[in-house]
Formats: sequence, structure tokens, C-alpha cells
Amino acid sequence: MSILEVTNLTKKFGGLTANQDVTMNIEAGSITAVIGPNGAGKTTFFNMITGVYQPTSGDIKLEGKSLLGLKPDEVAKRGISRTFQNIRLFGEMSVIENVLVGMHIGLKTGLLGIFLNLPTTKKEELLAEKEAYRLLEHFELAPFLNEKACNLSYGAQRKLEIARALATKPKLLLLDEPAAGMNPAETRELTEIIKNMGKEFNVSVLLIEHDMKLVMEISEHIFVLDHGEKIAEGNPEEIRTNTKVIEAYLGSGAVQTV
Amino acid sequence: MLLEMLQSLPQVLIDGLALGAVYAVVALGYTMVYGILQLINFAHGEIFMTGAFIGTAFFILLMGMGWVSSVPQIVVLIVVLVVTACLTGLLGMGIERVAYRPLRNAPRLIPLITAIGISFILQDVIRFIAELSSGNYIVTGPSLFTNQLTINFSSISSIFNDASFKTSFLIVLVTAVILMISLDYFINRTKWGTAMRAVALDRETASLMSINVNKTISITFFIGSALGGATGVLFAVQYGTIDPFIGFILGMKAFIAAVLGGIGNIRGAMLGGILLGLLEMFASANLSLLTGGVFGAEYKDVFAFSILILVLIFKPEGLLGKPTAEKV
Amino acid sequence: MKESLAKFLQYKWSQVILFTVFVAVSSAALFFSQKSVTAFLLLLSSLLVLHYMKLKNVTKWIIALGLLFILIPLASSGGPAFQSYMDVATMVGIYVSMALGLNIVVGMAGLLDLGFVAFFAVGAYSYSIFATPQAANFMPFGTYPLGGESFWIFLIIGGVVAAIAGVLIGIPVLRVKGDYLAIVTLGFGEIIRILFNNADKPVNITGGAMGIASVTPPEIFGIPLIFPNQFYFVTLVILIFTIFTVLRLERSKLGRSWKAVRENEIAAQAMGIPLVKTKLLAFALGASFSGMMGVVFAAKQAFIDPTSFTLLESFTILVMVVLGGMGSVPGVILGAAVITILNLQVLTELATWVNQLSFSGIISIPEALSPAKMQKFIFGALLVAFALYRPKGLIPAKNKIFDEKRLKETQAHSDMNATDQKKMQS
Repeated sequence: MSILEVTNLTKKFGGLTANQDVTMNIEAGSITAVIGPNGAGKTTFFNMITGVYQPTSGDIKLEGKSLLGLKPDEVAKRGISRTFQNIRLFGEMSVIENVLVGMHIGLKTGLLGIFLNLPTTKKEELLAEKEAYRLLEHFELAPFLNEKACNLSYGAQRKLEIARALATKPKLLLLDEPAAGMNPAETRELTEIIKNMGKEFNVSVLLIEHDMKLVMEISEHIFVLDHGEKIAEGNPEEIRTNTKVIEAYLGSGAVQTV
Repeated sequence: MLLEMLQSLPQVLIDGLALGAVYAVVALGYTMVYGILQLINFAHGEIFMTGAFIGTAFFILLMGMGWVSSVPQIVVLIVVLVVTACLTGLLGMGIERVAYRPLRNAPRLIPLITAIGISFILQDVIRFIAELSSGNYIVTGPSLFTNQLTINFSSISSIFNDASFKTSFLIVLVTAVILMISLDYFINRTKWGTAMRAVALDRETASLMSINVNKTISITFFIGSALGGATGVLFAVQYGTIDPFIGFILGMKAFIAAVLGGIGNIRGAMLGGILLGLLEMFASANLSLLTGGVFGAEYKDVFAFSILILVLIFKPEGLLGKPTAEKV
Repeated sequence: MKESLAKFLQYKWSQVILFTVFVAVSSAALFFSQKSVTAFLLLLSSLLVLHYMKLKNVTKWIIALGLLFILIPLASSGGPAFQSYMDVATMVGIYVSMALGLNIVVGMAGLLDLGFVAFFAVGAYSYSIFATPQAANFMPFGTYPLGGESFWIFLIIGGVVAAIAGVLIGIPVLRVKGDYLAIVTLGFGEIIRILFNNADKPVNITGGAMGIASVTPPEIFGIPLIFPNQFYFVTLVILIFTIFTVLRLERSKLGRSWKAVRENEIAAQAMGIPLVKTKLLAFALGASFSGMMGVVFAAKQAFIDPTSFTLLESFTILVMVVLGGMGSVPGVILGAAVITILNLQVLTELATWVNQLSFSGIISIPEALSPAKMQKFIFGALLVAFALYRPKGLIPAKNKIFDEKRLKETQAHSDMNATDQKKMQS
């Protein structure tokens, strides 16, 4: 069963076409990668799925329901969460507070509950805090729970962003270049985390990544975008040998020599 | 009702143009700084006010030396304009250096707060210098260019009333137009103008292209503030009486003009300024007529701010601006 | 020597002893001297000292309440200046409450509101209009002025009306991106003042530039409240309510969403936080505290006119928040207290002192430099200095510290709860 169906998605900025008729299906419980050279329209694609941009035409369906016209926060409530290419943490807030913000959707307390500090509110808060702590433990960030997020190391910030995104209990998690700027050891750790994420958090993963080793190791399915269009899809082995892909990455001359 | 509005129209147009020219040149300062730093320079209105005071002080000084009677008034005006523009330009550069540059990487709220602070300091410093030297912070300059002229609009059609104005109106209009044309030339045709546009587009890339970003920003502040100060002089010539609090609301209006024209867009600021001046004069002449006496001229500020809100809701990029989307 | 002193000061009981001595001396000085502003200020500053002491929060609160409700009124009742002290203290309370309201908007949600005094005006006018014959000019029913008991209902009405004004202003404004907000709110502040200034025609609602005089004093159990010392207690109760509410909000999911929006709008929205709704709530809640205190202010002054609600007032409240520390509740309380006292006592005292000096011919300071007129310069200098060198204010905001042990301890238990809940849902 597919969790996300994208059909003929097109986005134009004035005269510039960022995405042209992109169609893809993402299987529930799978790890899928979107790759492509810089400027291929990958991040725009993510921004359309999460409601930051509205597509010019085409449709996006999460579990059969269209996401068109929804704002980013409404998309998040439907069950899609994301990380950002340039890290966007809440820098002045503590590590655990960052994760608690991610739990916002799950917290039901109203204004009255906050003012009167009702027992249900207290209980809900405590449960959320414990759950947030467990998430931090999972990402080995628990020792830093009271640190300001902006004081974490780069790799730790990337992990915190993933933890925060998982706190919204998404059905689909979008990772925008999760390994960018990480050292090899950190990348290895991240690879393991993403691999196990599906089972542990019951989530499907869609990621943009330039680190081909990571992509080939963890993805079950790969889509390749170039100049805003989907030029190929398949499992890692198929993508590795696809001439169109090699052309896109290395130029048309490269195909002959390979 | 329509007839009455038409009758007063010529006078409204003339007063509106004078006010609009002032708004337009001050708006240039806001728009240039916003374009390059994405900062609302709250102190800009105060620089305009400082210019008005410096100019008036020079007029009084030169009059004491007998210049005003022996030299043509226009020469005096040009000298005062140039000197004032240089001084306020330096003031603007200094403010940028002290209050904004150290905060370039701070959260965006913080430079806004220093801008408000600087604006307060300028108001009070000018107040007490004026009060110290003349005993009163409301200052009246020498009257220059006071010949009354009348255009016989009634000879065109009997619907219109005649409109009258002082020579100073022409001076304000002509000087403002000269300032705007030279700025437009500077921005679009010179090396530093190109550098300014480059820094406004992308500061980091511009610095990689060996553009000295700090210097470019300094120059932007110098030019914006010099224009603001010169407009202050024009304002003093046109309206005669000035006080240290004229800058704030006028500055706000000029900012509204900049937003109306499209913030960051030089020609937009000019258009917005003239348009706002005309609209405001029209409103203050006719609001009471249009609303059957419920709202009068005292609501003209409300009118200006309503324009701002309407623009921000329906056309936030302004009349000549291009819509932008934040990168994610 | 220095080290042992430092150690001594770290010790809880030595702190308590010193604190007691400090409070006793300053209150005795205040009680027995005819008029000593210094003693009054020292006694007030004991609350700040208390903030830094190593005591449990509950203990601190009890001591603070004791100081505020009993000792401060008692100690200042010794001299002829009793009512003027109480008046200053009441104004401090009013401004602290307003600054706490603005702190929600500026400090927590990161929205620069330069027209905040508008909400104060809305509160003040809503009581003044109905507690004077003014309302009879346009209300088709009822007899006006309303009695003094209506004050207590108007506290809530003032808050609600201000909150509604906040939402009405917010709806068009909050669609606007960041920086414009400052200008638009500034514009709205002016618009509201101009409206009040001119709403005496065609129907006389606000009394126009003349203002509204002889506002009915509040009444409780048939006793009318007229004197500053009576208003002191009213203000204090509302203030404490405000502080508790603000602290609750800060620690709640709403407080977190405000900070998240301040830190990064795009990420906050991607985490499911609706931007406009969250910002509107900040506007409305912040405004309501201001509106409530507007009602108190109108009742206390018994006269209001548009000059009490100028732009300068809005900026004054902003200075309080920036000085104290944006987002920091204790900081903002301190900032508001410092600025109010500076405005009402220190500057006027200094001005009289300077006048006396020039009068007796010791030094001559021109009238233009009189400290009472330097308000704007001082505020401006404070804004610039703090923004440049101490952007987090006198008492920087702190994040809540989470107790790791508590989060670990009952983990198994909470796991069970979580699975239980899942079963219940399915």
C-alpha cells in the first residue's frame, strides 16, 4: 500500500519551472530517497509536500486524502513531519523543549487547563516530558536535555532535528539532507538510526541526500530528479546502472567512457 | 459635493505635491537602507528633523552675517543644502557604525530597538540644543522665497478655484526632483550604485566579488541620510516653523510611502511619496465633506496608516515591488 | 578574608539573617524619617535581594507577599508622604502588569508591538465611559453613571475588551511579515489615540481632548476607594494574579509555541503550530493584562484624557521589557519597577534638587537640561546600551530546568500508561 501518492506535480516560479509533472508513489513503511544534482528541484518538491508552497498543478495525497490547500501546520497534523536542509532548531530553547514543541499536536490542553493548571494538564505535560526524554535517550542526546539547542555540536543538532520531527508522531518523515556537514563517524551513526527508524517509530521515510553511500545502503527505492523532472526510479542497483542518471550527474560524455 | 471637491482640487494638488515631494525623498532613505540591510531605520525621520534644524541654524547664521541680503537667496539655499546634506550624511554613517553594524548578526528585533533608541536620543539632543540656544524648542527660520504666486485655474474652467503658492513650493519641488534624478542615476549608472544593488541582492556573494560590503553600507547610509537632511532643509523653507518632534510622524509617513511604492525599490519610493502626499492632502481637504462631517481633517493620519494596512494586506510587495518568497 | 565572606554569603541562614537585618533597618528608616525616598527604595529593593536568595520558591513567595501586603504599607505609613509612596507603589504595580503583558508579545512571541498603550487606553476608557454620565450620550438603555461596585465587573470587561481589540488589530496585522509589524502596531496605537481624541462628535463618547472627569470611585462592601493606599491593595491583588498567570503560560505548551514561533517561524509551523492563531493569542492575552490595569488606572486617577496614552507611553513599556530582559518574568518586573520609579520619583527628585542648586547659586544648570525633561534621552540611551551590550537585559530569561531523575524514574509506569492509552484509542 502506498502512503504518499504524488501525481503530475508541477511548480512554476514566474517563468522558472522548478518541478515538472513529477509523479511518484511511496510505499508505506519504506525508506525512499530522492536524489539529483544541485538545483534539480528536490527541496521545492519537499516544500510542496509540506504545504510551504502550493503546487501550480498536480495533486498530493497522503493515505488517499489530498493535501492541496493545506498550510504547513495542517499538513503536520495530517502526519507529515520534516527536517530542514539548513538546520532550523529553536536555538534559545533547551534541547528537551525543542522536542516538546514537536509534541504540540498531541497535547490537547486548552487555555482553561493552562490557567487553572488542571490535573489532566499536569498529567499530560508529565507524560509528554517523559516521552520527549525517551526520544532524547534514543538519539543519545539525553545528557544535554537542559542545554540550549544552539550550543550543541553540528551533528547533535541534526539528530535533535530528527528527534523533534519524530515527536510529532508522523506517518511520513521527510529528511532534507540529514547527513550534510556530518563527519564519517556521525554519518555512520545516522545511517543506523534511519535504517531502524521504520520499525521503531512506525514511520515511512523520504529523504533527500547527496551522500551516495548512505543513499545506496538504506534506500529501498530511489527517485532521481533532474531539471525538475523525474528521470528515473528504481532500486539502488537499477539506479546505479541507469545511463540517464549517470548523464545527469556527470554529463553526457561520461556515459561512453563508463 | 463633487463640485466643492473639484473647486478645491487645484490647491489640493499643489499642497499635495509639495508634501509628496518631501515624503518621496525621505522615503528614499528608508527604502535604500531596507533594501540593503532589511532594517527599518526608525532614526531616519530624526535625521530629516536634524537636517531641518541644521539648515535653519545656518540660515539664521548667514542672515546674521548679512549674506542673505547681499547674495541671491538661491545661492544661500544651495550652500545650506550642501552643507546640511554632508553633515546629516556623516551623522547617518556614524549611527550605522555605532548602533547597527555591531548587531548585524543579532536577532532582528534588536537593531529595531537600537533604532528606536537612537531616534529618542536625537530628538532630545536637538530639543535641548535648540532650547539652550534660543530658549524654545520650537524654532522659526527666516522667511525665504515668500513671493505669492497664483495660477488662474479658474480661467481654464469655472469649476476650479484659483490656487496660490509661495515660490518655496517651486524650490521644494525642483530640488526634490533633482535629488531623485541624481540618485536614480547614481544607483543605476555608477560603480558604487552597482555595488549597492549587489549587496542588497546577496551580501555574501557580493563580498566574494571583492565588493567592500561595510563601505557600501556606509555609503548607502551617507546618501540616504544626506537626502533626508536636505529634505529637512526644504521642509523648513516651505513650512517655516519646526520642532524636534516633526521627524517621527513624518518619518512614519515616508516609510508608508516606501511600502506603498514597494520597499527596496527606489522608483517605487518616489512614486509612493508623491501618491501619499496627494492622497493625504485630498483626504484632509475632503474627508469631512465625504463623510458628512463625521470625520474631519484630524483623521488624516488615520487615513495614512489605513493605506499602509491595506497595502500590506492586499499588495504587500507594493506598487512597483516584486513579490518574494522566503527560502526554506 | 574575601573568600570566607563569599562563603558566608553562600550559606542559607546567613543570607536570611542579613536579609532580615536589611529589611528591618530600611523599614525602620522609612517609618521614622519624615520623607526618605532612599529608605523607600531600599525597602522595595529587598524584593530583588529576595529573588537571588537560596530559598525554596514557596518560601520566597510567602516572604514577598508578607513584605508587599504588610510591611511596605506599614513602614511607609509613618510620615506625611504615606499616600505619595502608596501612589508610586500603585503605579509600579500598574506598569509591571502592563510590562508583563507586553513581555508576552515582545519577549516570548518575538512580535515587536509599538502601540501597546492602546490596550491600556481601551481598558481605561471602557470603565470611564460607563462610570460617568458620558455613556448616557449614546446608550439607549440603562442609567449612568454606573455605581462603584461595577468596577469589579469592569476589571474583567476591560480585560476582555482589550483582548478583543488585540484580536481585531491582530487579524490584519499578523498576516504581515515581521518588521512591518512594528510600524503597523505603532500606527494602530496612534489611530486609537486619535479616535479617542476626536470621538466627541458627532456623538460625544469619549469627551474628546477634554477627557473624562470625575470617574466614579470603586466601591467594596459599600466603602468607596479613593486613597492611593486603597488602590495599592487592589493593584497588588491583580498584579499577583497576573504574575501567576504569566508564569503558568510561560511553562505551558502555549508558552513553548510562542518561543518556537519567535525562534523560527517556519520550523514552528512545520511542527504543527498554527502561526496566526498562536500570535493572535499572544496579542490578546498580552492586551488583556493591559486593559485590566487600564480600568484600575482610570479609577485611581478619576480623570483620563488622550494625553495619558501617547506613543511615549508605548515606548516606555517597551523600555521596561528590554531593560529587564525580554522573555524573563522576574527581569521584566524589575525593569518596570526601575523605570516607573525613575520616572515618578528619581527624575522629579533630581529636578527639584537641581533647581534648588541653581536657585541658591551653587551651579547653574539651564532649564533645558532639567532631569525631568531628559526622559527621552535616558530611555533612548538605555535602549541603545542594552541592545548593544546586554541584549538579554538585567535578569536574562532562563529556560525551565527539567529534572532528569524525575523523567527517568517512573519511565516504566509511563510506558504502561502510553500503551494503555493506545489500547483505549484502538
